Amino acid sequence: MRLALWWSGRALSSAATLLGVSILIFAAVRMMPGGFAETILGPFATPEQKAELAARYGLDQPVFMQYWHWLTAVAGGDLGTSMISREPVSLELLARLPVTAELTILSVAAAILLGVPLGVLTAVRARPDGGAAVGRLLSGLGVSVPEFVLGSLAVFLFSRYALGLSVGGYVPVTVDPAANLRSMVLPAAVLSIFAISATARTTRDAVLGVLVEPYVTAAVARGESPWFIITRHILRNAAAPVVTLTATITAYLLGGALVVEYVFNLPGIGSYVVQAVGRRDYAVVQAGVLLAAAVFIVMNVLVDLMVGTLDPRLGVTAKGRRA
Amino acid sequence: MRHPWLACSLTALAVITTACAPGATAPTAAAPEAEPGYAASADGALPAGGTLNLQVHVDTGAASGLDPQLADVASSWQVMSLVYETLVTVGPDFTVQPLLAESWETPSPTTYVFKLRDDVVFSNGRRMTADDVVGSLKRLLDSKSVWRGQLGPVKSVTKSGEHGVKITLDTPYTPFLSALANVPAAVLPMKEVRDGSVDPAVKMVGTGPFTVEDHRQDVSWSFRKNAKYWAPGKPALDAVNITVAPEETARIAGLQNGGASLATLGNVDSAGMLAGAANVEVVTQATTDFYYLMLNTKAASSKFADPRVRQAINMAMDRGQIADVAVGGQGKPTGATPAGLPGACDPARLPSATGGPEGAKKLLAAAGVRDLSFTLSIYSTEPAPAVAQVIQQNLQQAGIKVNIEQMDEASWAGKVYGKAPATFDAALSWFAGYADPGMVAKWWNPDVAGFNSGFMKSDKELNELIDAANTVPSGAGRTEALAKVCAKADTDAQMIPLVTRPATIGYRSDALSPSLYATEGYGNALRLIADTRAKAVR
Repeated sequence: MRLALWWSGRALSSAATLLGVSILIFAAVRMMPGGFAETILGPFATPEQKAELAARYGLDQPVFMQYWHWLTAVAGGDLGTSMISREPVSLELLARLPVTAELTILSVAAAILLGVPLGVLTAVRARPDGGAAVGRLLSGLGVSVPEFVLGSLAVFLFSRYALGLSVGGYVPVTVDPAANLRSMVLPAAVLSIFAISATARTTRDAVLGVLVEPYVTAAVARGESPWFIITRHILRNAAAPVVTLTATITAYLLGGALVVEYVFNLPGIGSYVVQAVGRRDYAVVQAGVLLAAAVFIVMNVLVDLMVGTLDPRLGVTAKGRRA
Repeated sequence: MRHPWLACSLTALAVITTACAPGATAPTAAAPEAEPGYAASADGALPAGGTLNLQVHVDTGAASGLDPQLADVASSWQVMSLVYETLVTVGPDFTVQPLLAESWETPSPTTYVFKLRDDVVFSNGRRMTADDVVGSLKRLLDSKSVWRGQLGPVKSVTKSGEHGVKITLDTPYTPFLSALANVPAAVLPMKEVRDGSVDPAVKMVGTGPFTVEDHRQDVSWSFRKNAKYWAPGKPALDAVNITVAPEETARIAGLQNGGASLATLGNVDSAGMLAGAANVEVVTQATTDFYYLMLNTKAASSKFADPRVRQAINMAMDRGQIADVAVGGQGKPTGATPAGLPGACDPARLPSATGGPEGAKKLLAAAGVRDLSFTLSIYSTEPAPAVAQVIQQNLQQAGIKVNIEQMDEASWAGKVYGKAPATFDAALSWFAGYADPGMVAKWWNPDVAGFNSGFMKSDKELNELIDAANTVPSGAGRTEALAKVCAKADTDAQMIPLVTRPATIGYRSDALSPSLYATEGYGNALRLIADTRAKAVR
């Protein structure tokens, strides 16, 4: 019963969030300076051509009507039609999804595989020495340097000096898996720098918090091996904030992919949305933002479920926890 | 470039890192010397075959889809020229040459009779007929295409025998052949267009050297050799793959690492950034495209209603400095007829050429204007910001304050073309200069160029001069008539031409032997794509 209530509550709050996002993005794209007609049709377009374009996409109707038509279409699974390509937006999003998904998965994998061990290492060896300071400095830099700076440096350096990884020239994994990996490693590395640093910092803080718990002291006193203590006692109890961060980072990386895909010329959802913003292709921008919001919501739900699994006290069915 | 913050950062980083790069990294494959009129000449001794991997900054992007007759930007013309062909084409130094028309005659100044090639087939296998040519031109004339205005006073288009087409004009129109040489005047498979089996907005079926295999909007194009192409031995290439790479640094990277065998470059500094890169050649095409300044005389409280104020601004600008500083010395000062075109006017002889800042101050004083300041709206694509900065500094010397308002292209387009009357003070843009000096001059008539009517008033005398210049046959008389157009446009000064806009093209000399004209009027770096040859796989 409690679980059913939780699910219905999350469903309602998710729907309300998506509705709010839909209103905001719908209004925002229409408030952007510069008209779609001048951008899409170009300066040579006549007033008749502009009117024809507006009529074709229902943009000559009152805004409330436009919103209603769009909302009902989205609810039915129709994300609209691109004014540039004249193709359904959903098809293009699907076609581009593998690129963005691969980029994000590689980055998240790097964040977990490198960030967590790094965080544990700096926590269990936390001493006021130079190594810890260097670690904090590097993770601070990783968090604060924007992707476009790292990305453009990587683009230049790796293309100029033939350092082994290819820049641009995306190859689908279905065509050549090895070439695909070569073209994706560098963008994923750039995108994951922030995630690795953030994961390492969060893991370190969480581990430091757990290290002072009596059960860790007891385990040490029992003579259990450091590996056993870290994997069975520390990591499990320090996992909640790291899992939460990983989920947040996954959603963040989707945002970072906007820039990285653009800089590395990867045909993913991010570059699609960036180009659509520049060209005032309303349906694409609206669909892209709504999709990102949906991903955020789904990730948050997954986090709640995973945290509950890791620590039943924090679970969705735990007593005293609100749905 | 639609992200100014990103563009600035990337360019700055690239410049910084280039400064630290070694002077030369590896031996470079020698490019053959180009023939006169060419920036690069393909090595005909190379075997046919191979693939051209091209990277461009923007895709065809019109809501009208892929219909060549409605394409109004050079980036679309370039891609569409792989598939579509016209009756005539532009050769070296803007000469008009036969293409689908084997030859033509002009029995009178208002009559053109074209003899069509009889061996041309569309990529669907059907032979091109005179009906296709007549139907295509009539379709263009009946359309809302901006190119309709460039075709001039066409009275009729009729068949002339089995392989001939006769076009009659109301009055002589000198740019007619040049106007026929651009993609919007391409020959379409009209039988299929009429019966609905081909919709040119979504499917490209032409007589050109390549056929479309795949297109993903804003991502890529794949073209394959048109096996039925009429020219023997052409195209030499088997395939052309186009990747749309909006970021200049990505295209530069593509050239450096071999991902691109040819790339169009937009930044005048890109050649410097590629200096020393192994096997990368960078050539500059002198185009007839040019930057111009718009002064809005139609705004309710326009600061430019008095022509003396506009003339003062015109006088205070140093076109030579703009060319040297903002366009890296690769552009040329120009009048309303693009510099470099035969018969174009000499910008040094324009009325505004001699006044300088002091002359501008006198004009402003005569107009009773003190402390003139205005906002110059520009888009963020280089070198527009650099051009604007030079203008700002030039005008400062005449006591005029310019506030530069930089925005993304969509915002800029909305501000400049979104309302009539327009609300901006001044704006910067560029025109394609085409292949005849009288063509772009027509845009100074807002009654013909409706897109300019939001900010400029029609000037009867100027309009008559433009029309008159386009009826005079090429030669000394036309040069004189065009000089009058330039002088009048210069004193009218609602649109002030500045400097030409060069095109920069990079290619891998170890992968490609391209043919490129030294000059171009329609922004089409791929005009000689059928001649271009690939080298052995590296």
